[in-house]
Amino acid sequence: MNPSLKLFTVLFISLELTFTSKLWANIIIIIGCLILLIHAGFRWQQFCWLVLVPLFPAIAIFITIVLFSPSHSLFYGLVLFSRLYMYVSLGTVFTFTTNPLALARSLEQNCHLPSKYAYGVLAALNLMTKMKQAVITIRAAGQMRGVVLHWWSPTLYFKAILVALQWSDQLAQAMESHGFVEGQARTSTINIPLTVYDWLITITLIVVIQIIIIALP
Amino acid sequence: MEKILFDDLSFVFDKQLILRHVNATFKAGEIHLLTGISGSGKSTLLKLIAGLLPKYGGEITTGTVSVSTAGQIGMLFQDPAMQFALDTPRHELEFTLENCQVPTAKINSRVISALRFGKVEALANQSISTLSGGQQQRVALSVVMAMRPSILLLDEPFANVDEENRQLLLAQLLKINHDYRTTIIITDHDFHGYQRLNPFVWQLRDGKLIKLLNNQKHGLLQDDRQYIKASLPPVKASPIISAANLSIKRGNKTLLTPATFSLIKNKTTLLTGPNGIGKSTLLKAIAKLVKYQGTITFDSQNIQKISPGKYYQRLGLIFQHANDQFLNVTVGEELNLSLKNGQNSYFTSQQVQRSLSELGLAGREEQVIYSLSGGQKKKLQILLMLMMGQEVLLFDEPFTGLDKESLKKVLNLITASREKYPQTLLIVSHQLNGLDGFIDYHLEFNHQQLKYCGGNS
Amino acid sequence: MAKHQLHLRDIILLALIGIIFGIIYFAAGFIYNGLTILLTPIGYGPMANDLTMGIWCMAGPLAGFLLRMPGAAFLGEFFGAVVEMLLGDQWGAVNLISGAVQGIGAELGFTFTLYKIYNWLTLLISSLTLTIVTFGWDWFRNGYSHFSGQMLIIMLIARFISIFVFSGIIVRLIVNMLQRAHLIKR
Ligand SMILES: Nc1ncnc2c1ncn2[C@@H]1O[C@H](COP(=O)(O)OP(=O)(O)OP(=O)(O)O)[C@@H](O)[C@H]1O
Ligand SMILES: Nc1ncnc2c1ncn2[C@@H]1O[C@H](COP(=O)(O)OP(=O)(O)OP(=O)(O)O)[C@@H](O)[C@H]1O
Ligand SMILES: [Mg+2]
Ligand SMILES: [Mg+2]
Repeated sequence: MNPSLKLFTVLFISLELTFTSKLWANIIIIIGCLILLIHAGFRWQQFCWLVLVPLFPAIAIFITIVLFSPSHSLFYGLVLFSRLYMYVSLGTVFTFTTNPLALARSLEQNCHLPSKYAYGVLAALNLMTKMKQAVITIRAAGQMRGVVLHWWSPTLYFKAILVALQWSDQLAQAMESHGFVEGQARTSTINIPLTVYDWLITITLIVVIQIIIIALP
Repeated sequence: MEKILFDDLSFVFDKQLILRHVNATFKAGEIHLLTGISGSGKSTLLKLIAGLLPKYGGEITTGTVSVSTAGQIGMLFQDPAMQFALDTPRHELEFTLENCQVPTAKINSRVISALRFGKVEALANQSISTLSGGQQQRVALSVVMAMRPSILLLDEPFANVDEENRQLLLAQLLKINHDYRTTIIITDHDFHGYQRLNPFVWQLRDGKLIKLLNNQKHGLLQDDRQYIKASLPPVKASPIISAANLSIKRGNKTLLTPATFSLIKNKTTLLTGPNGIGKSTLLKAIAKLVKYQGTITFDSQNIQKISPGKYYQRLGLIFQHANDQFLNVTVGEELNLSLKNGQNSYFTSQQVQRSLSELGLAGREEQVIYSLSGGQKKKLQILLMLMMGQEVLLFDEPFTGLDKESLKKVLNLITASREKYPQTLLIVSHQLNGLDGFIDYHLEFNHQQLKYCGGNS
Repeated sequence: MAKHQLHLRDIILLALIGIIFGIIYFAAGFIYNGLTILLTPIGYGPMANDLTMGIWCMAGPLAGFLLRMPGAAFLGEFFGAVVEMLLGDQWGAVNLISGAVQGIGAELGFTFTLYKIYNWLTLLISSLTLTIVTFGWDWFRNGYSHFSGQMLIIMLIARFISIFVFSGIIVRLIVNMLQRAHLIKR
């Protein structure tokens, strides 16, 4: 499915279910997402993580609503509990099945997002591994100079922001020297199609969810 | 006619005059070699041509620079790591070709020929952040070549590249200059191999740009390469670091198969080997920064049993990227930190001042480190780590980007410091010029093995 | 460069700030869970969200101070969410909405000072707008309408204090350090 349209669908559904309190819609979406994930080759460790991530906030909200709120409503407790899982499963389906470069290309080609945003963010993202290495290196470099940097040391973050300022400058220059010009037309290596089929899936999904929302509590 | 024209150009950084009234013409289709001591403004000049300055800093105070060309300007930066926006060489090439508005149908074949140019076909889909310094530099070169630029600006393109690849790439440059009449402007400190490009040679000194005459030029470009004479370490020599059955793997690639070797106490050992063989990784393993199999001992103690805090008081690493070494903002703050925590008795405050002026860094206490030139950073980095005075210092390509003079001064500094305060040094370097007499032993890293070479290698 | 719109360099910087804070946000997740476990037995479980809210909102005001132009605060916060999503974070796509909401909250503080004043007043106002806007969003998302009035007021106050401490005071300290290093001009 087209990455931009997929993103739009995920956001639309999440937003709609935030403003409607429907239990079944949440549950059906979670199940749907799990099926999609299994289909996409999700591993069981990843499932455990998926269950664990929203567990504490979900339980906290559930207990607070059921035991401590004026209404003591079990139903709303369940709605909010399942809502967090709905958010996370939708989010996982999106990130697990979409690669950042494809999304950037799609946003550029299909949504006409200015390429400076698409590639600026992508470039920063690709510095992530370097960022991790940099933190390890900064700490070692510190110890070699007799300075111990803990994860809460302001110096560590100050240096990180310093590095970010530095890198953004160098990277922007590097991209320009690789022919990138803000606002100038670019060609594409791969055309990301936006087909009738994509639209059809999106519309069907949204219609089905409307029906579920209206029909079930 | 296409050309690059500097007309009475002066350029300042933070009120500091870098270029003064420069007049020069670079004609289309010519090869130019730009020389000058570190900090003289070579990178600045290239960035002015590329149009990155004054857009990204500094100010033109007099005159103009005009670049008349219909084609692309490709620029290779001094720091190999920081010139990629995407994750793999292939994606970076595609991104670049898209920028140059190459039609979709042609992109793939241009990607392939560019990869071939830099001899990096095998690395096309490997994550750039895992490539070695030399590999990154070759990928960067492929990318600028893919642009088919009419002007090619190369800022120390071979600093991290091994000898074999250096010769190959030089030959390639000559070929594209011949085939496409590409204007090429290169900066470098090591001139061997340039003779056959027959370049125009320019020298930047005190902000002035001077074109060298033919006889001066030939003197400069003469191949005065030296060979390292090292001997085998004596059997009884006392080791400080020993590795037993050491093997190292990265990703799916084996870098070192079980190897046993030791470093001799208070001696200088040189480590050489081709790009991507695993030299930097080996240093990181010794510094406990990457995983390995087997044991490494420091002073007969397994390094895994020593806490990092203690270990790094006894062993220091001079990183390949100078920026990694710095913790503060200004040169002065860095010096103070090393003075405060340093153990090296040679470096009293007066000696530090002397060394600073020796290295051409005096009076820069207030300068933000990150605005120093490539060579200045290297010199500062080495000074700071010498001051710390660990028993063992591992150097990862400490001499890249240093001009001959600076190199000599750095070596003198190290020698002087060691006379008073002995240290064990392990040095990785592609550039061997000027190192003769400085090196005691020579370790060669090749075919996943390490071995000492002796006699006359 | 004309400073009326964001250029490539600014966008990369904003995204990098997003990454740095993304890492901090990730670490804050543990604090959040710890607080949740502590507070749930006394019926204030969701207040962990309010208490840590300030941490989740740091990127916006910091970006606003660093770049000093319209849109910076919003994008700093929003890009943080984008980066988290692209990194494969589980909350990912949905975080985009929270990111946008927090971004609007942070941006409003700078809008009300007309992008001219950059001092404590700005941080105070931006803390206020952040508190109100994010509280409004959680009203729907976490079902605050079901909570008692007293609890809501306590939570609102907790949220303001958290935002003021993290996105106000701490951001100010970081900005001061950067200014001393001449890394922020003016
Ligand atoms: N952004 C900057 N701000 C302030 N000063 C700078 C900046 N960039 C460079 N400089 C200064 O300008 C001078 C010239 O630097 P440049 O990088 O051009 O030198 P270089 O000749 O390339 O040296 P090297 O051989 O060491 O790379 C140096 O003294 C450096 O400290
Ligand atoms: N995840 C990975 N997958 C495959 N190969 C990897 C991975 N990580 C590192 N490598 C390879 O390991 C080697 C590490 O090289 P290292 O940086 O130690 O080389 P080097 O000898 O210092 O080279 P140079 O002279 O270019 O600096 C490289 O060949 C790199 O491609
Ligand atoms: Mg330079
Ligand atoms: Mg290396």
